Amino acid sequence: MSNGTMTDDLHAPVTTTLTGPLPRRSLAIVAGLIGLGAGAVVPTYLASDFVLRLGSEGLLLGLLALSVAFLMNQAGLVALGAASVYGGAGYLFAIGMSDWGLTPTAALGVAFLILLGYVAMLGALIVRTNPLAFMMLTLAAGEMISHAVLLEGLRDYTGGADGLVVRINGTVLGIDAIHFADPAKFWSLAWTVAVLVGLALWGVGRSRLGAVLRAIRENEERMRFSGFNTFLPRLTGYVLVNLVAAIAGFLHVLNAGFVSPESLGLSVSTNTLVAALIGGISGSLGPIFGGLLFSFAQDEFGARGLTQLLTGVAIVVFIVVFPQGVVGGLSGLSRRLGWRREGS
Amino acid sequence: MIALLIANSLALASLLIMLSSGLALIYGLRDVINFGHGAIYMLGAYLGYTIATVGGFWLALLLVPIMLALLGIAFEYLALRPLQRRSHIEVALVTLGLGIIVGQIIIYLYGGEARSVDAPKILSGSVTILHLSYPVYRLFLIVMGLGSCALLALWLRATPSGLYVRAVSQDPSVARMMGINADRLSLLVTSLSTAFAGIAGVLAGPYLSVDPGMDVVMIVNCLIIVVIGGTGSIGGAIVAALLFGFVQVAGSVFLPNLAALVPYILLMVVLLIAPGGIGRGRVLS
Repeated sequence: MSNGTMTDDLHAPVTTTLTGPLPRRSLAIVAGLIGLGAGAVVPTYLASDFVLRLGSEGLLLGLLALSVAFLMNQAGLVALGAASVYGGAGYLFAIGMSDWGLTPTAALGVAFLILLGYVAMLGALIVRTNPLAFMMLTLAAGEMISHAVLLEGLRDYTGGADGLVVRINGTVLGIDAIHFADPAKFWSLAWTVAVLVGLALWGVGRSRLGAVLRAIRENEERMRFSGFNTFLPRLTGYVLVNLVAAIAGFLHVLNAGFVSPESLGLSVSTNTLVAALIGGISGSLGPIFGGLLFSFAQDEFGARGLTQLLTGVAIVVFIVVFPQGVVGGLSGLSRRLGWRREGS
Repeated sequence: MIALLIANSLALASLLIMLSSGLALIYGLRDVINFGHGAIYMLGAYLGYTIATVGGFWLALLLVPIMLALLGIAFEYLALRPLQRRSHIEVALVTLGLGIIVGQIIIYLYGGEARSVDAPKILSGSVTILHLSYPVYRLFLIVMGLGSCALLALWLRATPSGLYVRAVSQDPSVARMMGINADRLSLLVTSLSTAFAGIAGVLAGPYLSVDPGMDVVMIVNCLIIVVIGGTGSIGGAIVAALLFGFVQVAGSVFLPNLAALVPYILLMVVLLIAPGGIGRGRVLS
């Protein structure tokens, strides 16, 4: 990428890439909306509660994978600490209600603000380093949080190794708390959130922020030399993806009704990474699909205690053999077969 | 009291030096951080446990490094070389995956409970130096750690291959132009690094416990050390390991409630002051 085209790219208005004639484009949009709407409703009639629960878990993992994939794809940074924000959201929400006497909605808001402060501070420290050090530091920060909840001094708050049962009375953001435990309703909610977050991240990826992040990924020094601030965009990206992880964490605790130290564990972070790699890190569809696939695969193999082993195998196989993931591979295939316009 | 504190932190730092200098060496040559290093250490510890129960501790200390050096050669030929053209982040992720696989196979074979290894007779018990009684095994650890440190420095400073290693990690392309075979060096360095991890694993047996979580604990510690030391700087890694050992031991004495968090606090403080770590970067500049 030459410097000229890069800056052109940054200053040009964001052009839409669906360049087909207008009726065809609006048809595609309408079909897409109907499809997305149907995804929220149709499975609740077709699938059993068990499958819906697995599916919802998959969607939450997909949300986490979306956050990891976005940072990998746009900024070239691999975060191995997704679990600390995901589990931390649940812990803060629970502590806010039981120890600080907040209403569920207020607890949600306070937890959100605390997480925002934490990731902003951590991000300010670690996005300045190189991508490899970033990866190591996110791993270390994640381990720090999972050690912190087990501290003897915090046992009264965090419940130590036992975790906490979360009792939610009343409504959360206007939704009755009972609905979150209902598999069908929760699937619809998780689906809607996943779609909205996916669209939002897709939009951010196409915005100026996305372009700047990709340019920094290619050559940070050149961007600094060209007069761009390389710190703030990366910090913004880091905070943004962690907010997505926090949303997934809130949804999880609302649905499950408990938090445990396992939700902060390294295995959650590596599962997330695998889900992102399976689906493919470019785009929003892949990670969500990867999360769903992982969830059902885990149900298949988890009983035999093979999940972690297969996680390791999947990381190696998908990076070495299928670096684009399933969705990326399929869209590459369809492009080669001429179903999709080049460059779309 | 102070003397005990320093001795204990030196004993812990000895293990950390062996592991983190191995990490820094591979990074210097290949620009790759081996996230599977913790799993190799764990493999060393479990192999050491098995061999020690059959043939004794000394046999384990001799055989395990050789076995793991062979593993390192396989790692170099099967993972690092084929992936040479891929991005460093991707290779790092592959090592993470390989580490998970090794760790899970060990847990599958040995089960979930912790094992303990007895120190050989000559190293058990304690000696009295300057009116202080101190476990012999820890003294042995300190000797091994400082000894390997000295050998490493001697190798890097005084031998041709050490000179080449320094040259490649300073500037790979210029070193290659000068006719240095970086692949052959990398083979040497990778096997050395895994062998050291094996020694550390065997030595950890009687000192710490041999348990399924040891790989994650150790890789996180080593990553913290490598970042504090300045990624790729061996001198920095050694200083950082000493600092880490001291902070950890002092933390467990003076702040027992927060001991688990002390290393992370150290990391955050260092990052705040010097984002690039305390070392000057690259190998032993």
